[in-house]
Amino acid sequence: MSGGEEEEPFPLDINPMYEGERVRKEQMFVELGGPKKPGFELVICEEEPENVSDGRVTLIGPDLSEMQEGESYAYAMIYKVYGKEVEKDLEAVLERRNHEFQSYIQGYMHLNQRADIWVRISKDAIRKGLKSLKQIAKATVMLYKSELPFIEKMEAIYITDEDEVLRRIKEAEAVYRARDEKARGLHDEDVDEFYQCTLCQSFAPTNVCVITPDRVALCGAMTWFDARASARIDPEGPNAPIPKGECIDPIGGEYTGVNEAAVRLSGGAYNSIKLHSFFEKPHTSCGCFEVAGFYIPEVDGIGWIHRGSKVTETPIGLPFSTIAASVGGGRQVEGFLGIGIQYFYSEKFIQADGGWRRVVWMPSDLKEKIIDAIPEEMRDKIATEKEARNIEELKEFLRKVNHPVVKGVIRPVDGVKITEGWGEVAEEAAAEEVAAKEVAEEAVKGAVATEKRAEEAAVSSATAEGAVERAEAVGGEAHAAEALAKPAVPATATVPASVSAGTLMIPITVDISALLPVLEALVRRAAESEGSVGGGGLKITFKDAEIRVGKVILKKSGREKKESG
Amino acid sequence: MAKKVRLEDILKILERYDVLELEGVEIRGDFDIELTRRSAIPILLNALQQALKEQVAAQGVRVMQGVVQGGEGVPVVAQQQTTAMEATTEVEAVSAEEEKLVPAEFSAKREEWFGEIEEVTLGATRSEGGTRAKTVTIGGERALPFYNFDAPMKHPPVIAVDCFDMPIPLAKAVRVMYEDVMEDAGEWAKKNVEVFKADLVTIHLISTDPLIKDTSPREAAKTVEEVLQAVKVPIIIGGSGNPEKDPAVLEAAAEVASGERCLIASANLNMDYERIAKAAMSHGHAILSWTQLDINQQKTLNRYLLKMGVPRKSIVIDPTTAALGYGLDYAFTNIERIRISALKGDSDLAFPISCGVTNAWGAREAWMKASPIAEDSDWGPASLRGPLYEIITGLTLALAGGDMFMMMHPKAAMTVREVTRMLASADAEEGAEKESMSVKAEDWISWTGEEA
Amino acid sequence: MRAKSPMDIYRLLPRTNCGECGEKTCMAFASLLLERKKNLDACPPLSEDKYASQREKIAELLAPEIREVVIGEGEKAVKIGGEDVLHRHELTFFNRTALFYDVWDTLPAEKLRERVQTITDWRKFYVGKFLRLNGVAIRSVSNDAKKFEECVKIVAEETDLPLALCSFSAKVIEAAISHVSERRPLIYAATERNWSSFIELARRYGVPVALFSPSLDKLTSLAVTFANKGVRDLVLDPGTLPTGKGLAETFAKFVKLRRAAISDGKKEVAYPLLSVPLVAWLTHKDPVEASYWEAVLACIFIIKYADIMILHGLEPHSLIVERTLVENIYTDPRKPVSVEPGLRIIGSPNENSPLFVTTNFALTYYTVESDISSSKIDSYLLVIDTGGLGVESAVAGGQLSADAVKDALERFGVEEKVKHKTMVLPGLAARISGETEDKTGWRVLVGPKDSGMIPRWMEKSWPPEWLS
Repeated sequence: MSGGEEEEPFPLDINPMYEGERVRKEQMFVELGGPKKPGFELVICEEEPENVSDGRVTLIGPDLSEMQEGESYAYAMIYKVYGKEVEKDLEAVLERRNHEFQSYIQGYMHLNQRADIWVRISKDAIRKGLKSLKQIAKATVMLYKSELPFIEKMEAIYITDEDEVLRRIKEAEAVYRARDEKARGLHDEDVDEFYQCTLCQSFAPTNVCVITPDRVALCGAMTWFDARASARIDPEGPNAPIPKGECIDPIGGEYTGVNEAAVRLSGGAYNSIKLHSFFEKPHTSCGCFEVAGFYIPEVDGIGWIHRGSKVTETPIGLPFSTIAASVGGGRQVEGFLGIGIQYFYSEKFIQADGGWRRVVWMPSDLKEKIIDAIPEEMRDKIATEKEARNIEELKEFLRKVNHPVVKGVIRPVDGVKITEGWGEVAEEAAAEEVAAKEVAEEAVKGAVATEKRAEEAAVSSATAEGAVERAEAVGGEAHAAEALAKPAVPATATVPASVSAGTLMIPITVDISALLPVLEALVRRAAESEGSVGGGGLKITFKDAEIRVGKVILKKSGREKKESG
Repeated sequence: MAKKVRLEDILKILERYDVLELEGVEIRGDFDIELTRRSAIPILLNALQQALKEQVAAQGVRVMQGVVQGGEGVPVVAQQQTTAMEATTEVEAVSAEEEKLVPAEFSAKREEWFGEIEEVTLGATRSEGGTRAKTVTIGGERALPFYNFDAPMKHPPVIAVDCFDMPIPLAKAVRVMYEDVMEDAGEWAKKNVEVFKADLVTIHLISTDPLIKDTSPREAAKTVEEVLQAVKVPIIIGGSGNPEKDPAVLEAAAEVASGERCLIASANLNMDYERIAKAAMSHGHAILSWTQLDINQQKTLNRYLLKMGVPRKSIVIDPTTAALGYGLDYAFTNIERIRISALKGDSDLAFPISCGVTNAWGAREAWMKASPIAEDSDWGPASLRGPLYEIITGLTLALAGGDMFMMMHPKAAMTVREVTRMLASADAEEGAEKESMSVKAEDWISWTGEEA
Repeated sequence: MRAKSPMDIYRLLPRTNCGECGEKTCMAFASLLLERKKNLDACPPLSEDKYASQREKIAELLAPEIREVVIGEGEKAVKIGGEDVLHRHELTFFNRTALFYDVWDTLPAEKLRERVQTITDWRKFYVGKFLRLNGVAIRSVSNDAKKFEECVKIVAEETDLPLALCSFSAKVIEAAISHVSERRPLIYAATERNWSSFIELARRYGVPVALFSPSLDKLTSLAVTFANKGVRDLVLDPGTLPTGKGLAETFAKFVKLRRAAISDGKKEVAYPLLSVPLVAWLTHKDPVEASYWEAVLACIFIIKYADIMILHGLEPHSLIVERTLVENIYTDPRKPVSVEPGLRIIGSPNENSPLFVTTNFALTYYTVESDISSSKIDSYLLVIDTGGLGVESAVAGGQLSADAVKDALERFGVEEKVKHKTMVLPGLAARISGETEDKTGWRVLVGPKDSGMIPRWMEKSWPPEWLS
């Protein structure tokens, strides 16, 4: 990688330890770019290898030897890059690396990026032998190539001529704008693969982050482009591609490929993820998310609070830290979600649940920060701690502004109404639905209770006489003894052997005739143990019972009669 | 409209209408069964419950809780058949006094895993191209450590005892064991094997560190040769940890030990691991893949090695050991997770695990004379603390999935070896068995104490 | 626990946001219930009849897989069991293995008192607090009710620690229990021979009871029988054998019992488990050997599911490792362990000694401190409160920042001790070096990424030119 006039080794130390180094005014030789002079850095990925002259460094304008100590100059760093695996989409990622690499150079300070760059070279660096900006360019290119092996050819063009910089800066800004627009315009549907990130798995073993164009990493550190570049650079590293597969649910954002990865990477903890859903199979989090979302059932809306917010209390009464505990740990927890701030800007922002129309509250410092992400129609409808600090105030506010959750949210993505709103009737129905759903697995009351009958049949066999009466009808001791002598239901059966004060809540059919003998024996034993026939025993009470009789067979005539008691 | 109707009333009604039978009677509703007597009832209650259960079970329904005690409701849909049932046999009454334990059976499911840990063999005998008397194989697990009831452990854990190529400062409790051999690596290795029963020996070439003695790779190789001649167990060769020096040192060592199938310690992301791994491969050695308490980093390094062409049977993992009290929980959980991941099918992690248990001596409780904290209870003699720190550190990691332990104090080495072999059911040592069998689990209550 | 999200619980609460539990909303209360930070009892409305079934359902949803049993009363009471997972990284372990050390009724009174005091007073400072032992197990060796009673009385006087009364004779236990019944002692143990009298005792005094049988079937049988009678504060002892095949079998029993309860859902055995490392003393005559082997057994069962154990050796080396291991295994892996922030003195630093900076993540701190002190570098170490995060994470997350360093300098009065106003930041914090200089007015050197390289770094970079 030669091509330069100097064959001397690079005079300055290059080490990550210099990353945060600042060069102060007194120490500085010259300033490049910064607040006083224009500057920019730009990476261009060339499609054709002929367009890049590997190792060439061009300087347009004065070099260090022609600069005055203490002065500021314009500065542009343009890099042209070629590699078979290098795509135009990687430009932004590569460009950000310029800051990283140049910071490693001792005596060379690089702050910010794009057209905001601010560079200072220290007097020390000059003393150590730095003679030309071309040396800086060469060193930077060397760092790029050794860190990113997929770069096959790289060329640097540095400009310190102010007119030339001013002329080119407009083009650069156009490039930045186009890139941003393209990034915004790229969506989940447009790509074939997403990327996983397992960086945080040390802290949350079942967490799987899936990074897509419409869903930035929840730690905020990676966009889909960043993950793509990272996967290129180090395919064995934490970011590997996840082929999308088939789209199972375009609104919720569910893909076969993602589900398969979920099983694999979570160790089987869960098997599906809906990327853009808050309630159903939500994306999990480790502890690094920037913002935590929480469901507020009283208003059927979603609130958000970010890490480091100055607001400590949410309307539900929990601070960020407690909500964070519910969100993190790599579990799919209903009613909570961790996201990165950029996700607010996504066009698919929780679209399965109504997107912004479902959002009811966030702290004012967060709202200010991301106000551009909120559609205009919703901006005044989302409460902050200034308008609502508790549920009552929140309800009032939402009613006042006629927030969509009040009457029912119509989901923008497909125009479907997905919530019922707060209406009196609606609320009760919802509550009942909830209760029923909860009890469905275990309770019978749901179905039976609604068919309540006023009749109450109490069967009381308070005396052994009563028991004797029925003995003829149903057998007796024999059955009881039999039941006793039977081998016990092994403990491995699904039925626990404990007798407790408890309620059996299952719709089953019980053959009372099989039970009666035991009940008999119970009563008999009870009576016997007291040494008397009377006193104590068994009471069976049927509550709210409906008794249906199929057939009544009479003694005298053969007439059949249906009767219900 | 609530009305109380009693059975007697109903019977009367039925009588009045000359009802002979009722068929298909369905009673829907909640019913309570109340008992006003308690004694001797539970057994029968149980029978009642069994009967209910059987019916329920027959309908394939899972019952969550128990039934019936003093008036709780049992809402069921009940069906009553009224066909007369006749009393059949005479059965003698069950004695009221004799209470019986509820019979029960215990069972636990067997756990089956998808994955399997690689088996790695260290050492090569004459027929295999080396000069070792025996080889040592680790790995091969199909279940969690010592869970022989799921799948028998193929190879019990092994112990490698450390020796160094120069005398080093050691905690007193350790130094006294090696004072007589510290000047000679070969003698040192010999003592480890002959007196302390090491399964393997690790020779640490620390003198090669530029900041210590900066011995050359060639001299280091000579030391390795000495050790290979002094003992006939498989050898582990460790560098000094200096990233600039180690690759050359380990290359030289690998070369001189060619054919002996040593374990080269180590490849890690802080140095030119490619060079080290290449040297290991070209001389038929296994490579130790070392990362620092990070499961993802471990996967990454392993994948790099595999990509380079290192054979699966030549990789041993060292995920880093932290001492009891100084991060042992991290080391433990990291290893548990690695092993469980591997058993679940992650082939990037399915390798035997080696633990640098000597690190336990880094805990100050292992060597410090007394506690620096005035209010602490007496720490007792350091000579008793250190070895126990090493034992517990090692044993804890064995329970997580450690297959090989690199250790220093002989007492610790022998104890960890003993207990892990017991747990692995590796030995049928008669003496120990007899002694163990002579003790019944309940004997401890009436033990008269140490005076006896 | 079966509840997976606060919503599972929220649905069953009154949902009136009445605030009586101390939280603003029922949702908040539900979250805290799930985190085990609040108790159901905190919600008075829930105890009303109309919520009876909901309350029950919530209790069921919140119930840990393994029953939680309390032994002892008041401040020193121990909770055992209450576990939900087989491996700590799946969630966390909740209740530390309780360590009970033994005394016995043939000990002369003086020795008895002494021993009880030793158990009660033992302490070891570790990560910001003193570790203590959990209880005293009193064994009936004499099988004489009167002697046992005497012994228990003395023990009760000498300590406020929870107690375990150990005898297979209900009569013996009965003689003593009345003196300590309000202290909720564990009574050990019911067996297939004496169980009905133990049920009696358990019910009468409302105390937790241990069940013992080397047969898992019988042990299950005992558990079922006791539960049927309403006695559910149970602790199961499948018998601990010290060596050989017996030890391997004991190990298998513990694993199987815990697996049955948590993975297979067998509620009938879902109780805390008890192990007896003390048995090491029955096969090892030499006290050092015995204490070592007891610690080995303790280690095995601390990790494999013993919720309470009975030990004998009071040798300092045993107590330290046993109690420290419990602390390590039972910390919540989701919360990084942290140390006290502050300015540490290493060796005997003078005005030219370096000041190193690090975070209060325990692992980082111990490593750095150890690397510096073992290399005998006299220096100062400033430990910054980063909420327990390590350097890399704290730099990324902003906890280790120029401002944090500035605050720490002020908070710990560092400028009074370190006159040269030069600090060494960890290599991984290079990014904030310039900013830190700006904000603190100190000079900042960037040290190595790995504290193990500090000695090497010192050779090249210390003292800096302005101090030499």
